[in-house]
Order: sequence, then structure tokens, then C-alpha cells
Amino acid sequence: MHISDGVLPTAVALTGYVASLALTAWSARRISTEQLPKVAVVSAAFFVAALIHIPLGLTSVHLLLPGLAGILLGSAAFPAIAVALLLQCILFQFGGLTALGANALMMGIPALLCGWFFHACKGRSRSRLTICGGLTGALGVILAAGILAALLAFGGEEFFGAAKLVLLAHLPVVCLEALISGFTVAFLHQVKPELLSSPFGAQSGPIHG
Amino acid sequence: MADTVAMEIPPWRLLLVPLLLLVLAVMVTGLRRQAQGDENDLFLPAMETGTKASPFHRWDVRCKLLTLLTYAFCVASLRNLPPALLAGMVSLLALFVAGISWQRIALRLLGVGGFFGMLLVVMPFSVPPHPGDRLLILAGLENWAFNLRGLNLALTIAVKGLAVALLSEPLLATAPLPVTLQGLRRLGAPEIVGQMVLLSHRYLHVARQEARRMLNGMRVRGFRRRMCLVDLRALGNFIGMLFVHSFERTERVFSAMQARGYRGSLPEPVALRIMPADLWLSGFWTTLGVLLLIFDRFGS
Repeated sequence: MHISDGVLPTAVALTGYVASLALTAWSARRISTEQLPKVAVVSAAFFVAALIHIPLGLTSVHLLLPGLAGILLGSAAFPAIAVALLLQCILFQFGGLTALGANALMMGIPALLCGWFFHACKGRSRSRLTICGGLTGALGVILAAGILAALLAFGGEEFFGAAKLVLLAHLPVVCLEALISGFTVAFLHQVKPELLSSPFGAQSGPIHG
Repeated sequence: MADTVAMEIPPWRLLLVPLLLLVLAVMVTGLRRQAQGDENDLFLPAMETGTKASPFHRWDVRCKLLTLLTYAFCVASLRNLPPALLAGMVSLLALFVAGISWQRIALRLLGVGGFFGMLLVVMPFSVPPHPGDRLLILAGLENWAFNLRGLNLALTIAVKGLAVALLSEPLLATAPLPVTLQGLRRLGAPEIVGQMVLLSHRYLHVARQEARRMLNGMRVRGFRRRMCLVDLRALGNFIGMLFVHSFERTERVFSAMQARGYRGSLPEPVALRIMPADLWLSGFWTTLGVLLLIFDRFGS
């Protein structure tokens, strides 16, 4: 779930923008000119994968995928997610223009942490990779939901109830995302294991800009 | 709750709740049909810029971005319902002037509907009662008191959020995306962001076509989106294959860009020039934003 316009206090929304720009600049220094189109194309794939809805009871949920973004893109995940969120805002109004910085933090920070976690714990065996992938997927959603709840709580005690509900509503998504991330990582290990060996951001090349 | 004003609501009025939910469901279905037509799966709207020569279309893109974003922050900072309603009316007027299609408006409303719907349902029950708050007690359920201050707060957020969401159309859909990104870059946004947005937008449609083709193939082989391990594994494999294809494509994309002369920056699509009319329009919108804030803080 993305934060819409008018929910966050203006100071929090502006701070979100500043922090997101700083993190984007930090990530951009690690993306080479050659990698830039690659990150953009993979960002488009993440956008499309997140459009897929999975039925859940009477409703349906869509995947968030910050864990997988971190696994595959490493430090390049932050600008990739920021770009995907900007496009979602432009095309669908998912998330507000004034809350774009906060939304980028909400999804981008978990992606960065998940990338680090996965590459620190992945090991070599298929089963360990699968379990690590699943845990990373779950961790991504837990962190994103936690940051969303914290951002809502910045609005004051009036938003505490909504923040608690947001945390509860993400519980089924945590389980779903853990399973699907685990299966995706197992598939990638079988089909194209080099994608899991090192993320984009860890590769060398002429730095952009 | 000693200092609050409690009002008992007869139980039969609880029947209004499912009726209200039914009306909301019908509205959302109508909006979805208006926005997406029959295309529900992997729907991706096109970026329209329209052909109407409105003031928004003629406005210098840098002035437009800077001014309307400032105005959007002014609207997002409102605390009371009357100025938020005024901002909503201004946005509707802007949509009319810019000649935005109903499909785009429906899509925007659909996009924000879920979040604001959640706030409207939750906040009247979750906002802690303060002295002077009016509480509606439904059928004697004191623990589930409906706080009218919570409803007012949620309504204010929803209305100002809608005002900003609707303003996104005159802001973003009245110039081609490359021109908007050129304006952002000229305003100091990192060039990498503009390039990535442009390339991602270009390849969104390619990735969607690919995803749709793969999903169709899976359906032919009996795949159904259900909550069972077999289908979730198939979905995980599908997402993995989508990434494999996109990573393989990245090599070809970079080679093709290099062949067309890409050396780390993209050419500017138009020459930008600020005219006096652009500054007048910027002044008008900034004044409007400030007036709304003054009305909010001192007038309502």
C-alpha cells in the first residue's frame, strides 16, 4: 500500500523527499553508464511483476517485491524502486506526488537491507538459497509495512489505529511474498545462477555522471 | 468519555452500513470499468497529452512543475475541510480547463480510493475521543463509538488528497513525458532519474507484453491463480522468467543505445523558453496556494 497525498505532515513529506534524493544520489554513484539502461529495464520488469494480483479470500493482493529487488539489484535497487514508484504515481496514482519521497523510503530502504541480508546469508546449496530467498521476501514486506506504520504514526495519535491496521493487513502478504520469493530464487538458481551471485551495484564499470 | 457528547443510534440504522458498502462497491466497479474497460489483467494506461491547447499545455514545463508542486504541498498542508473542499473545486476546474478525459479522472480516483476508503472506515472508530468530541454509539456498542472528529479528519485528508491527485493530470498529462523530464532535469533533479524513468516507461510496455504472453501460455497449460503451493510455485517461476528475459534484454538495449550514439546522456526534446505569461500563471497558482493556507489557518 502506498501513502497518498495529504496524509503525512508536510515536514515528514519534505524530509522524505530530501532523504530519498540523498539515497538516490548515493546509489547513482554506484551505477555505471553501462548499467543505467539495465537497471531501468529491470525496474520495468519489477513494475509489471507487481501488477500481478493474487486472490486472497474475498479480495486480492499484489506483490511488493522489495526483497527480490534488493537481491537482484543491490545498491541500485533504491533508484530502481524510486523510478517504479514515480511511474506508478504518474500512471495509476498509486501513492501521492507529495508523498513520493516517503514512499520511496518505505520500499527502497527494505530493498537495500534485503539485498545485504541475502548476499550475506545465501550460502551455496539450493535449499539454503531458497530459504534465504523466502526469508528475504518476508523481511522486505515486514520492513516496508513497519516503515509505513511508523510514517503514519508521525501524523499523531489519530493515525495509530490506521498504522496498526496496516501492519495487520500486511501479514498475509508477508507469507505470500516469502513463498513466491523463495520459489523465484530457486528458479533463478536453476536457470540463471549468475543473477544471484552478485547484484548490479557490486559490479565494476565506469561510474555514471 | 466523560467530556464527550454521546448520541445513541437505533439498531435498525445499522442496516445502512451494508447499503453504504454496496453503493461503494458499485462505485468502485463503475470507476474500474470506466478506467480500464474490459482489460483487467496487467492493465497499463497510456500517457495521454491530449491535443487541446489549454493554458496548461502552453505553460513552460519548469514553471508548471515548480508551481504546481508548491501548490500541491500547500493543499497537502491544509487542516480543515472547507479549504480542502475549495482546493478540490479548483482541481476540478483545472481538469475542465486542461480537457482531461473521464477515463483518466476515473483512473486517478480508483488509484487513491483504496487508501482513502481505508482511512474513512477506520479513523472514525480509531481516533481517540477528546473533550468535546461527538460520539455516535451504535446499538449500545460503547467500545465501537463512531467519532465524528475522526470522520471529519478522514474526510479532510481524502478531499485534499483527491484535490492533489486530480491536479496530477494537468501537471503531468499536458506535456509529453520526455519534456516533463527535461523540465525536471533543468530544475536540478539528477539526470540519472530522468533517463531511468524514460527508459523504464519505454520498456514497461515490452515487459507487459512479455508477461501477458507468458501468462496466456501458462493458462493454456492449466494454470489458475489460486492460493495453493503448486500455483504459487508456478507464479514464482513466472516472475523468475520475467527477470531472466529482462536481464537478457538489457544487453541488447545498451548495445542498441550505443549504436544510436548514447554516451551517458539523452538529447533534449525541445528548446525551453520562459515567457511573461508563464510567470503570471505561476504567480496566480502560488497566490492561490497561499490564500488557501491563510483561509485554512485563520479563516475557517
